[in-house]
Amino acid sequence: MSNVINASHITLAYDNGEKEIIKDASFSIKKGEFVFITGPSGSGKSTLLKALYGALKPTEGSLVVGGLDLASVGQSKLQELRTHLGIIFQDYKLVNEWTVAKNVVLPLMIAGYSVDVQNTQAQRLLKHVKLSEHADKYPLELSGGEQQRVGVARALSKNPVVILADEPTGNLDDYSSNVIWDLMENACQQLDTTVLVVTHKIPTIFSLPYRHFIIESKGVYEVH
Amino acid sequence: MKFIKNHLMFILPLMAILLGIEFYLVFDRTTNSYEKGLKEGYSMLVVTNKPMELSVFKALNRHISNAQKIKRESIVSEIAKGVSKSSSKEILASLPYFYNVGLDSYLSTSGLNKIKADLEADKNIKKVETFGSSYSSSYRLFSFIKFTLKLFIVFMGVVSLFLIIKQMEIWKYAHKERMQVMEIFGAPLMLRSGVLFKVAIADAFIATLLTSAIFLYVKFQWAANSGIDVMMENQEELFRLSDIAILLSSALLIVVIAVYSVVFSSKGVEE
Repeated sequence: MSNVINASHITLAYDNGEKEIIKDASFSIKKGEFVFITGPSGSGKSTLLKALYGALKPTEGSLVVGGLDLASVGQSKLQELRTHLGIIFQDYKLVNEWTVAKNVVLPLMIAGYSVDVQNTQAQRLLKHVKLSEHADKYPLELSGGEQQRVGVARALSKNPVVILADEPTGNLDDYSSNVIWDLMENACQQLDTTVLVVTHKIPTIFSLPYRHFIIESKGVYEVH
Repeated sequence: MKFIKNHLMFILPLMAILLGIEFYLVFDRTTNSYEKGLKEGYSMLVVTNKPMELSVFKALNRHISNAQKIKRESIVSEIAKGVSKSSSKEILASLPYFYNVGLDSYLSTSGLNKIKADLEADKNIKKVETFGSSYSSSYRLFSFIKFTLKLFIVFMGVVSLFLIIKQMEIWKYAHKERMQVMEIFGAPLMLRSGVLFKVAIADAFIATLLTSAIFLYVKFQWAANSGIDVMMENQEELFRLSDIAILLSSALLIVVIAVYSVVFSSKGVEE
């Protein structure tokens, strides 16, 4: 199986390279794998995720995602890559002035799908995340768990090659957490999507085989 | 309510700039015709020893546009009343030649003095009378009014530009989150800023429409019924259809620059 993500001796830093968060890390992730990345607060989990969707360029090494080296990729290629990623944030990052349905189909809108296709997909996805009755509501009218399910539906809407999730169940109740883990497991199992989840704690009930990386002392290590 | 306030906060300063531009256009047109009137109403008196052609005057100074010879016979007939014909002829022969000399533009007093000096340098020219004192006071008053109005228009433009920038900051804040989310999911620049462009272009059209309406009212209602001669005489100069194109292009240019400044300063996904 081919590598979807390949990091080779990457260093990630802020403040023009002065504040190093991750140093000389190497790892690779294959298509269809489910990966957890854990580590203490401030260890660089979210920073690594940012680098994986191209919001932070490695100061050293190469970070290849979907065949593109993010250390040197241009803006248009990066935009193209991002349309194949499904990204889930702990703070949801929904557009509050848009309806739930419009938020869900954002990746389809960007890809230029017709309004009919968008509407059909919105209905299907919202049913999938058990939010059909909330399609015309606005994000701030929903609970935290519901908002995160909208975020997951958005991430899944265009059948992404890779799902990157940053603490997706961080502040959620058990019901919402279970729905979200089920959705991501299904995507991995049924669509062969690579799922990379940054979290404090791996869920106790998890049925799929997974790989586990830990970030410690600026290094990324696999736990066997 | 917030929606209307947001638009008004952009439309009003934009209108102030457009009003400034239109004031400038109107002012320029009306002062041009006033300047033309002053120029046409002015001439200097030149006294020469022998007849001179316009080309000779023009060679002495390029601002000279016409030279009208004053008939000496009429002068002689006035000063030689009751004098014999032969004496009249002698008086005519000894009289110098008089010319009313016109200029191509409304010059400053120093420009006028330069012409006088250039003309007096010619040995055939005996005397040049520029009527400088009355000319100078008209010119100074005219220049002062022109300068003050232009200064006011520039000041109004600068203040309005600051208000637009301030409003842009608010827009930037209001749209930042949406634009960042769209950027994360790979939306190209035009798609991310599409809403801003639509709103700003709509505001540009509204501001142009309102500014044009104000000047159309001034032209067809206020000026026509004002009873002020200068307004009624220059009614056509108050607003032309071509002004709408100038105002609209200016408004669009301002909003495009404003939106691009918001779009580029909102690139917040990269750290």
